[in-house]
Amino acid sequence: MKQGFRQCMAWLHTWAGLIPGWILFAVFLTGTASYYRGEISAWMRPDLRFEGSAPEATTLAVRELQRIAPDAVSWLIGVPTAADPLIRLYWRPKQERRFRDAILDPATGRVAERGESKGGEFFYRFHFELHLPPIWGRWIVGACAMAMLVAILSGVITHRRIFADFFTFRPGKAAGRSWLDAHNALAVLALPYHLVITYTGLITLMTMYMPWGVQLAYKGNQQAFLAEALAFTAPPRPAGQPAPLTDMAPLLATALERWPEAGVRRISVQWPGDANATIILSRGDGPELAIRRRELVFAGSSGELRDATGRDAPAVLTAGTALRLHFGRFEGPVLRGLFLLSGLAGTAMVGTGLVLWAAKRAPKGAARRGFGLRLVEALNMGTVFGLPLAMLGFFWANRLLPAALPLRAEWEIRVFFALWLLAYLHAALRPGRRGWAEQAGVAALLGLLLPVLNLLTTHHHLGVTLPAGDWLLAGMDLGLAGFGLAFALAALKLWRAPQRAAVPLGRMRAEGA
Amino acid sequence: MAALALGLAYAGFLLLSLAMDRHHRELLGGAPPRVRRLACRLGGAASLGLSILPCFALWGWSIGPVAWCGVLTLAAFGLVALLAFAPRAALLLAPLLPAVGFTAWFGLD
Repeated sequence: MKQGFRQCMAWLHTWAGLIPGWILFAVFLTGTASYYRGEISAWMRPDLRFEGSAPEATTLAVRELQRIAPDAVSWLIGVPTAADPLIRLYWRPKQERRFRDAILDPATGRVAERGESKGGEFFYRFHFELHLPPIWGRWIVGACAMAMLVAILSGVITHRRIFADFFTFRPGKAAGRSWLDAHNALAVLALPYHLVITYTGLITLMTMYMPWGVQLAYKGNQQAFLAEALAFTAPPRPAGQPAPLTDMAPLLATALERWPEAGVRRISVQWPGDANATIILSRGDGPELAIRRRELVFAGSSGELRDATGRDAPAVLTAGTALRLHFGRFEGPVLRGLFLLSGLAGTAMVGTGLVLWAAKRAPKGAARRGFGLRLVEALNMGTVFGLPLAMLGFFWANRLLPAALPLRAEWEIRVFFALWLLAYLHAALRPGRRGWAEQAGVAALLGLLLPVLNLLTTHHHLGVTLPAGDWLLAGMDLGLAGFGLAFALAALKLWRAPQRAAVPLGRMRAEGA
Repeated sequence: MAALALGLAYAGFLLLSLAMDRHHRELLGGAPPRVRRLACRLGGAASLGLSILPCFALWGWSIGPVAWCGVLTLAAFGLVALLAFAPRAALLLAPLLPAVGFTAWFGLD
C-alpha cells in the first residue's frame, strides 16, 4: 500500500459512499420529505384539517377521548398548528403496552373511521427505521450515517480543486466529467448542511448508539437520566378513586400566557378519571434555536398548577440546538424552503455519486459489463428514480384506495413497496439509458397528473384551493407536480440524447475524482 | 428581507467568481487584471459578509446564521446553474437582485 494520503482518502470515499449509498439516498429523500410531514399528512386527510384555536381543539379531543377511552392509563393530544393541522389522539388502554392512535374528525367530533392513512408519518419513520423493526432500522441507519460522515470528510480531502472548481459545472462535457462536476457542486455548495444534518442525525439517537455515559453516570437508570436531562415528570400512581377531570380551558390560558409565541404543542393526561390524574402541557418551538422542553404540570381533578419543569443546562441546550437543526422545525415558508432545497441537494449528491461510480467503470463500446457493475447500475436506477416514483405512487394510493378498505394505511405502504420493487425489477431487465428514461417518464406522469387525480377524487383540487388561498394544499399539489415536471425534463433529455462514449477510466482517475 | 440577503450573497459569489480566471474569461473575456482581481475578491467577501445582516434582522441572532447558510447555498446553486446555462443573465442579476431586495425591504416598511 504505497499510496499517497489523498489516494487513500479517494478509496475510502468511493467505498464508504457506495456501499451504504442506496440506503443513504432513501434516508436523505424521505428525510427531506419529512420537513413537510405535517403538510403531507394534511394532504392525505384533507377533510380532517382543523382551523380553530388550540383550546377549541383541546375541548373536542378531551370530549372524544372521554367517550372512547375513559379508563385509559394515559392520553396524549397533538394540538394542531398551521403546518400540521390535524388533531391527533393517542391513548394507552390498561393491559396494553403500546399507544393506539387516531385522528379526530372536527366535523363530527368523533375519531375518523374512513380514509385511514399514515401520511407523512410513513416517510418520517422510514427515514430512520426503514420500515424494519425499529431497533434494526435505527442501527442500520446509524451505521450508514456514520459512513456518510466518513464519506463527506474523505470527500473534502479527496477534492483537490475545491476552491478552483467552486463554481464549476460543465454540462456539455463528457458524461463522466459532468457527473463529477455536479457531484462536487452539490456537495461543496451545501457542505454545511450535509455535515450538520448527518452529525445531528446521529445525535438524535445518541443515547442508543452510545449508551455508556448514561450507564456509568446513572448506573444504568435511563429514567433517572431522562428525568434530569429532559425534566421528565415521573408518572403519578392512581388513587383508585374516580374523580372528574377539570376543565382544560383555564389551564391552556395559563400556558399560552407563559408561552405567547411557542404555544402548546402537546397535552398529556395520566390516569384520566382518577383522583390522582395529572395534566401536562408541553410547549411548542420558540423563536430561539434550541428546542427547550418546558412543561406545566397540573392536578387533573382540581386544575391546580403543581410544577413548571424545564432546564437550560448547557448540555441540554446543546442537544436541543442539534435536534432543532436536524428537525428543521421552523415557522415560515422561507427557512423550511431552504431546508427542503438543501435536503434535495443532499439527495442529489448521493445520487450523482452513485451514478458517477458506475459511469467511471462503464466499459467502452460493446465490452461486456461484469456482474458487479450491472448490479450497481440496477440498484442505482431502482433507487435514484425508483424511490421517488414509489413515493409519488404512495400519494396516488392515498387517493385511489377505497376509503372503507380494512387496513387501508397498510395497503398504501404495500403499494409503495410494490412500486419500488417493480422499479428494481425494471432496472434489472432494462439496463441503460432507455430504462432510466422510462422510469423518469412514469415518475413524470405520476407527478404531473396528481393535480388531475385530485380534481377527480376530492373537493380539494387546485381549482378550489388556489382561489381560496389555501396554500398548504395548493403548495403540495404544485410542488409534487413540479417534481413531475423535473422528471419529465429528465425523461426527454434521456430519451433524445444519443449514447455518449464513456470517459476513459484512466483519465478520470488522473483528474482526481 | 430574505430577497436582500439572497441578492447580496449572489452578488458576493459572482464577484468572487470573477476573481477567477475561468469565469472571468467566460463572462468578461481575458484574465482579470491584478487590481480588478483584488477588488472582486474584497467586494465579494464584503457582500457575502453583509448578507448575514438581513438574516439577523429577519430571523434573530440564533436562527439567523442557520438561515444564512441556506441563503448562501441557494445563491451559490443559482450562480452555478446560471454560469452553465445563461452566463449573460448571471452577470445581469448581480446588481438586479440586491436592488430588488432593497426595494422590497423599504417598500414593506
